[in-house]
Amino acid sequence: MIIGAGKLGRETGQRLTDAGHKLTFVEKEHESAAKAKEIFGDHVIFGDGCDPKVLERAGVSNIQVIIAATGDDEDNLIIAELAHHIFNIPCVLTRVNRPENQWLFTAHRGVDTAFCPVAMSADFIKAEIDKHAKEIQG
Amino acid sequence: MHIIIIGCGRVGARLASLLSSSGHSVVVIDKNPEAFERLEPSFKGKTIEGVGFDRKTLLDAGIEQADALAAVTNGDNSNVVVASIAAQDFHVPRVVARINDPVRAEIFPKLGITTISSTLWTSGRIFEYLISPELHNVFSVGSAGVQLYEFEVQPVLVDRNVKDLNVSNEIRVVAITREGVGFIPVLGSIFKRRDRVLVAVDTRSIDKLRAMLGLTN
Repeated sequence: MIIGAGKLGRETGQRLTDAGHKLTFVEKEHESAAKAKEIFGDHVIFGDGCDPKVLERAGVSNIQVIIAATGDDEDNLIIAELAHHIFNIPCVLTRVNRPENQWLFTAHRGVDTAFCPVAMSADFIKAEIDKHAKEIQG
Repeated sequence: MHIIIIGCGRVGARLASLLSSSGHSVVVIDKNPEAFERLEPSFKGKTIEGVGFDRKTLLDAGIEQADALAAVTNGDNSNVVVASIAAQDFHVPRVVARINDPVRAEIFPKLGITTISSTLWTSGRIFEYLISPELHNVFSVGSAGVQLYEFEVQPVLVDRNVKDLNVSNEIRVVAITREGVGFIPVLGSIFKRRDRVLVAVDTRSIDKLRAMLGLTN
C-alpha cells in the first residue's frame, strides 16, 4: 500500500507493479488521485491516509508493506504509528520531506526504514562533485 | 511550572493567558507571528515563531526543563507528533494533544498519548444540557467517557439504601454531602432528605440514572 500518489508514489508504484506486486494507493488530493487512476485504475482509493477508517476501507488488514510517501512529514509519521502499532503491518517505509525532520523517523514511532529524497539527492550530487574534483586535480 | 503551548489560535491563546495569569512560566509557539496578537496584553510569557516539531524551536522553548506541554494547533496530526516528541524524546511529565477527529482521539491514547477532543467534549456538554439539565456536571473524565454529577437527593431515593443506585460498570455513588459534611458512603448507608449526592456515571448510562432518579425527559 502506498499512501500519497504524487510523483514519487506513482513512480514507485509503476516499478512495483512491473515487478509483479499487488498495489493499493491512498490519496487525498483530487488531482493526484485522478492522475494515479489513469495508470492504476481501481487500485486508487480516494481519502485521507491518516484516517484509520480510510485505511481499513483500503484493505490495510491484508497488507505486507506500507509506504508513507506523502509530502507532509506529520502525516507520514502518523501513518507509520497507525501502520505499525494499530494495524501491525510488518514493514513500514517512510518518506522524510524536510531533512531536518529525519531524527523523528525512528523505530519507536513505527518506522522500519526512512528515506529522505532531498538528502539522498544532495548526497549524490556531492559525491559526483567530489569525483570530478578528484579527476580535475588528478 | 514551565509550560509550552504549541499553537496560538483561540484555544492556545486562551490557555496561555489562563496559565500566565495563574503565575506559570509560559512559552507559546506558532508558525504565524500574527497569531500572537490573540494573546491578552497582560500575557507575561514568551512567544516563539516556529514549527512545533522542530528540535531547535523546542529547545529554545526550554523543553528540557518543561513540566508540561499542550499541542493545540488546529492540525490533529501535528498535535500528535509534537505530543509524542515531548513525551518520548524529552520526557516531559505532562503532555496533552488536542484532537478534533473523534476516531483519532480514541486511538492515540492506546499509543500512550493523552488527547482531548474538542468535538467529543463539546458535543457531550451540549448533549447533557439538552437532555439532562437537572444534573450538575462537576467533572468529565477523559474526553467524556465518564461524568461526575452532583444533585440533591430526589424524593424517590429518601430512606433508600445507597447501594440501590449503584449499577456495576455504569453508575456509582462516590460521595454524599449531608448538613455540610462530606463523606464516602459505606455498605448500609441510607439516603437522607437534602443530601447532596456525587455520582460517577458512564456517559451512555445517563438515561438510566435519570430513570432511577425519577427524572423524565
